[in-house]
Amino acid sequence: MLTDVMNSLPMLTLAAADGAKGSGPLIESWAAAPGWVLLIPLLPLLAAVLNVGCAIAGVKTKLPAVITIVSLAAAFVLTALAYLSFSGETRIVTGWSWFDLSWGDGPGQSMKADFGFYIDNLSLLWMLFVTGLATLIATYASEYMEHDVGQGYNRFFFAFALFVFSMSCLVLGDNLLMLYLGWEGVGLCSYLLIGYFYKKPEAVAAAKKAFIVNRIGDLGLAIGVFLTFVHFGTLEYAELFSSEQLAGYIDAVKAGNAGDVPLMAQLIPVFLMIGAFGKSAQFPLYVWLPDAMEGPTPVSALIHAATMVTAGVYLIARFYPVFLVSEWALPVVAWIGAFTAFLAATIGMAQFDIKRIMAYSTVSQLGYMFAGLALLSSTGGVFHVLTHAFFKALLFLCCGAVMHGFAGQLDLRKLSGLWSQPGWRVVSVGMLIGCINLAGVPFTAGYFSKDMILAEAFVTQGPGYGLIGWLLLLTAGMTAYYTFRVFFRVFVGPVRYEPGDDDHGSSDHDHEHDQSDAHGHDGHAHTDHAQHPFHPHPPRLAINGVLATLSVLAVLAAGLYFVTPENKGWVGSMLKDSTAAQVYFDGESDHPTRAGLFLIDGDAHHRDHAHADDHADHGEHAAHGSFLGFDPHKVMYYVSAIVGAIGIGFAAWAHGPRGAVSGFLGDRTEAATSRMDAVARSFGPIPKWAEHKWYVDEFYHFLFRAPLWVLSHIFHAIDKLLVDGLVNLIGYVPRAFGRLAQPGQSGVLHGYALSMAGGVAVILLVVMMVAG
Amino acid sequence: MLIVLLILLPLICAGLIVFNPKGQAKYIATGATLVSVVIGAIALIQFDFSQAALDQMVVKAPWVPALGLELSLAVDSVSLLLIALTVLLGPICVIGSFTAVKHDVKTYYAWLLVLQSAMIGVFAARDLVLFYICFEFTLIPMYILISLYGSANRKKAATKFFLYTFTGSVIALAGFVYVVWFHASLEGNSWTFDLAALGESARMMEPAQQGWILLALLSGFAVKVPLFPVHTWLPLAHTEAPTAGSVILAGVLLKLGTYGIYKFALPYAPEAVVEYAPLIGVLSVVGIVYAGLICWVQTDVKKLVAYSSVSHLGFCVLGLVAINSVGVAGSVMYMISHGFSTGALFLMIGMMYERYHTRSMREVGGLGSTMPVWSSFMVFFVMASVGLPGLNGFVSEIMCLMGTFQSYGWTGEGGAHPGGTLGVLGPWFAFFAGTGMIVAAMYLLIMTGKMVWGKYREPEGHHEHDELPTDLNAREIGLLIPLAAGCLIFGLYPKPLLNAIEAPVNETVAYYEGLVPVPELEAGMTTVANEGDHDTEHGEGDH
Amino acid sequence: MPDLVVSTLAQADFPEVMHAITLYHYLLVSAVMFCLGLIGFVTRRNLIIMFLCTELMFQAAGIALIAFGRFYLDYTGQVFVIFVLTVAAAEAALALALVVLLFRRKESLDGTAWAVLKG
Repeated sequence: MLTDVMNSLPMLTLAAADGAKGSGPLIESWAAAPGWVLLIPLLPLLAAVLNVGCAIAGVKTKLPAVITIVSLAAAFVLTALAYLSFSGETRIVTGWSWFDLSWGDGPGQSMKADFGFYIDNLSLLWMLFVTGLATLIATYASEYMEHDVGQGYNRFFFAFALFVFSMSCLVLGDNLLMLYLGWEGVGLCSYLLIGYFYKKPEAVAAAKKAFIVNRIGDLGLAIGVFLTFVHFGTLEYAELFSSEQLAGYIDAVKAGNAGDVPLMAQLIPVFLMIGAFGKSAQFPLYVWLPDAMEGPTPVSALIHAATMVTAGVYLIARFYPVFLVSEWALPVVAWIGAFTAFLAATIGMAQFDIKRIMAYSTVSQLGYMFAGLALLSSTGGVFHVLTHAFFKALLFLCCGAVMHGFAGQLDLRKLSGLWSQPGWRVVSVGMLIGCINLAGVPFTAGYFSKDMILAEAFVTQGPGYGLIGWLLLLTAGMTAYYTFRVFFRVFVGPVRYEPGDDDHGSSDHDHEHDQSDAHGHDGHAHTDHAQHPFHPHPPRLAINGVLATLSVLAVLAAGLYFVTPENKGWVGSMLKDSTAAQVYFDGESDHPTRAGLFLIDGDAHHRDHAHADDHADHGEHAAHGSFLGFDPHKVMYYVSAIVGAIGIGFAAWAHGPRGAVSGFLGDRTEAATSRMDAVARSFGPIPKWAEHKWYVDEFYHFLFRAPLWVLSHIFHAIDKLLVDGLVNLIGYVPRAFGRLAQPGQSGVLHGYALSMAGGVAVILLVVMMVAG
Repeated sequence: MLIVLLILLPLICAGLIVFNPKGQAKYIATGATLVSVVIGAIALIQFDFSQAALDQMVVKAPWVPALGLELSLAVDSVSLLLIALTVLLGPICVIGSFTAVKHDVKTYYAWLLVLQSAMIGVFAARDLVLFYICFEFTLIPMYILISLYGSANRKKAATKFFLYTFTGSVIALAGFVYVVWFHASLEGNSWTFDLAALGESARMMEPAQQGWILLALLSGFAVKVPLFPVHTWLPLAHTEAPTAGSVILAGVLLKLGTYGIYKFALPYAPEAVVEYAPLIGVLSVVGIVYAGLICWVQTDVKKLVAYSSVSHLGFCVLGLVAINSVGVAGSVMYMISHGFSTGALFLMIGMMYERYHTRSMREVGGLGSTMPVWSSFMVFFVMASVGLPGLNGFVSEIMCLMGTFQSYGWTGEGGAHPGGTLGVLGPWFAFFAGTGMIVAAMYLLIMTGKMVWGKYREPEGHHEHDELPTDLNAREIGLLIPLAAGCLIFGLYPKPLLNAIEAPVNETVAYYEGLVPVPELEAGMTTVANEGDHDTEHGEGDH
Repeated sequence: MPDLVVSTLAQADFPEVMHAITLYHYLLVSAVMFCLGLIGFVTRRNLIIMFLCTELMFQAAGIALIAFGRFYLDYTGQVFVIFVLTVAAAEAALALALVVLLFRRKESLDGTAWAVLKG
């Protein structure tokens, strides 16, 4: 039965007998989509334009939020409609022609890129959660940002709507330049939103850093685009995926002739993934994301946790076939992803700012997604994107609610026992749901999606993939620990709190109304605090409603795993009809294919761990990866649950409060201290290093920024002294000659007359001598 | 006739300004430039874009028939678009100077108009002598604008600007004379200065001769662009020039250099261009990165933008020497789009300068809170300058880079490269030029961070301007809106422009057919002809 | 080319006695006049005298021109001299006016008082 399923896969399906024979292009045909699909990206754009109008008109109400929410909700409905109408098909709709230049009639002799949109299951999947989450988070933000109603509010929702437009272009764009447009467009919105509190130097610096670091990745992406165009002669997905050329490469790899794929084609994914590393905050370009938390929390939730940062995952998924034909691309992605996951988790364990912990956790989970894709589990990677989008957005929004209510306080040493405080129950429950998902508690969505990736690490064979599996497993334990560290410290235990820096609002709400007093905001905050005792203000309807909805969605996301189990869940069923379908390479030939990446085995269907039980013959799987001698797919359910339990248990022991919630395990009676302090001391300076993010920022500063800075000054000096000096020197030469002749110019009439007469005499003399 | 009108109208109005009371000067100038815009628009409508590569609207009048001189004017689509850019910037410069220029207003506006005529003359001239006269004549109005209306160091800047570019163009003149002489000797002493005819002859020169011609022409045009390392006059001139001077300098005058390369160097000396393209490419790339890094350490915001022009124009030259359609078209697009975004940046800095009387980012900054409108436009134009997709800078920049990347002996790589073209630059050039995009983001965002974001800072003893409000007034916003609209439209819908320049660009590139070396194929590699009759299946063939 | 020294201006319409006066004599007068003018110009400081000296040199050149014109039986020389004379008259008016102006500035006719062009 499974073989039938495999054979029904539209791409890369290999009957064993097929062997090296070609399987045809990835997509055969596509149809035009109706025009209303254009509204999906254009509605957010319209909202952005209207919000500019609000800014010009000086609107001082919540109108921009209403505009944004309505348009995003409409976009979501249209996306859902598109999903219902064309799921499983490839549809293209063209808005207008963007780039169009031709220099011949042959293939590849024109540079064409339309403002067009490519609809298949992969883009629909992404758009569904992007528009859906954006609607929810805009609703949340309408209350969260209410202190800034006026110009700041307009500006916020302008950038917010523009972000959704850019993200739609990124995801839906039907060519690489549209992807690039969205790619940089989301970068711009991220820049504008991180720098929303533009009077805070940290926010400005963080915004700048995000844009510049992303630009480094963008250069990689741009080169990937160039390579694609040069090599395949097209920028459009439809033409690329339907090209015989790409199909031929895939055939070659499947036939074990991986060496036949030209170097150029193998380099394309290498450059594309640099772009992905930048946007999705992977090592070594991850440093911008934690700093991006300077932006308002809804922004952190939407852009820097749920949607924009998954653009890199989307890129790889979109170009999955191109990645598959490269010898190095996926192993590199796997290693980078796993290493990033681990590194970020170590840093996250040592942070005290809960929003930063979540930021590092995002980096870490993105690492999982990359690893998932790279370990040939595209379903796992994308499923994790989806589940992570929900629970991480939820976690961030909960953190935001806390920050909002406690005047910008985010330090987990200064907050405790929110569960028991009136009005904070929704937030606490939401946080708990987010935490169990992130920690991978069994039967949560996060558990299933993470498991898929973990198991695959032990199944797929590649350079050091076993080690990646162990690394990811270890990281899973660490994740469970730092997640519940937050929960135990902030939400349970004795009721204690200190307000944050800005007591009359939250630190987020730095003054649009404060223009007269541009200086010394902090000073005021403290005096205010001294005069009035602080009262936290719990969230109201909009925030609580969104948190409740998201909590429900995060729980329900687990159910997707059980929809169409033969495809490993709904996500798998979506992907199988797209070019990112999970790949099953066939091992008809005896050659170990490139770098051992593609599993060589007589049978492919053992990979389906959802139905591992269907397996009749275990004997033939000797070559196939194993986890301590067991089938990874089955055993991973238990192993990851145990690892997660260890992590949570340790968190409970170290940070759990003495009393009802965690019973005998915990011992914490204060907000600021815990058992972990003593444990950390025994590790020497290591926790300190981790808290300082392993000094990576400082390292980059000394390795790149400082030398460049010096170089710039040197260049500046060279420009002034050498280059310009040379020019001035040339200008000086005629002047020097002039100085030589200067004494002759007495200015007296008689002198000139004499020299004139003398000159004539000399000329005459010469003429006479020559003539004579 | 429209072209003649475009040239004569500003000249006549300049005369009118001289003989009218000084209070009327700015109104006459405004009227003249606005009418020019209308004429320009009519010219755009009348131009037959289906024949874009042909010279249209031809006006010919005998000048000195004995010497073959003719007053010959015509436009193809590239010339016409650059003329359109010039006339569009005209009223913006004039109206933008209303409050900034206080003394000798008659001289100021008269010379501004004369400058406009001269620039249009450069783009429309089809006679070499006429071209050269107009080309050189742009120096005089600009010299006067800088030396009379500039800031503290203006005399030095004006002199340097004049002498530097003049020296360069005199050498170019020598090259031109040689081409004319060569043509005459080929044609049996019949003298002509017709650009097209001269090009025909010039292409028949020996490679060595073409090399000298290229060197001569480049020494004129590269200084004007300005290409590294002959760029040092630009930051000085920009910093000292009055706002309108900077706008015209960045918007149009620099383009005279790239236009010159496009119109003369590329078609006149193709073999030499192929030979020296790597060298020019290296200079461009070095210029991009070098000037970009210098921008980073500037504290004078105007100087920063000036150096950024050096950096940006490097992309433009790079696209030209890529000598394929994408590169050259991208370069032409760059000429137009750079006029919009950088012109607007200079205009905005001028507006800020009028209010704060300093250009130092140490003294003034954080204007986001006091000048929100100014700041919004600033962020917008910075993004256009950074090359954000959807705005004009991206279209031209990505095409220049793409052209550079394509310009390589792709057919020798093995396998099919249908999108590659022959050429002598290649991926490495594109990569190093691409780092310029990162550097551009660095310096422009740092500038934005200081000028727009952050805490408000004002120079000591600052007081409000007598006539101008704290934030922009309607006149200033009105100046910026057409530029912003241009950035947006060309960014989102560049197709009309691309279609318009496609034919002339392809014609220029066609001169290079057969000149670019085809790399030797490695053994066993299959080849793909560039002409497009390749077989994609060959890539993964039989090994 | 006829021998300048021995050839005369003698023509049919010249009286016999004049036949001894050759081109050489005219040129000699011209040269002497020119040298006198030059020496005067160089040695004298009074602007008016200096100006007169330049006139002297002018006329010397004129004599030479007319003599050559006669010698070659070509009227161009004479026409040219008449032309020069007219210009010189205009020049004289202008120059004397300038001298007056210069005198007003410095209350002196000393030519050496003006050395503005000193490098």
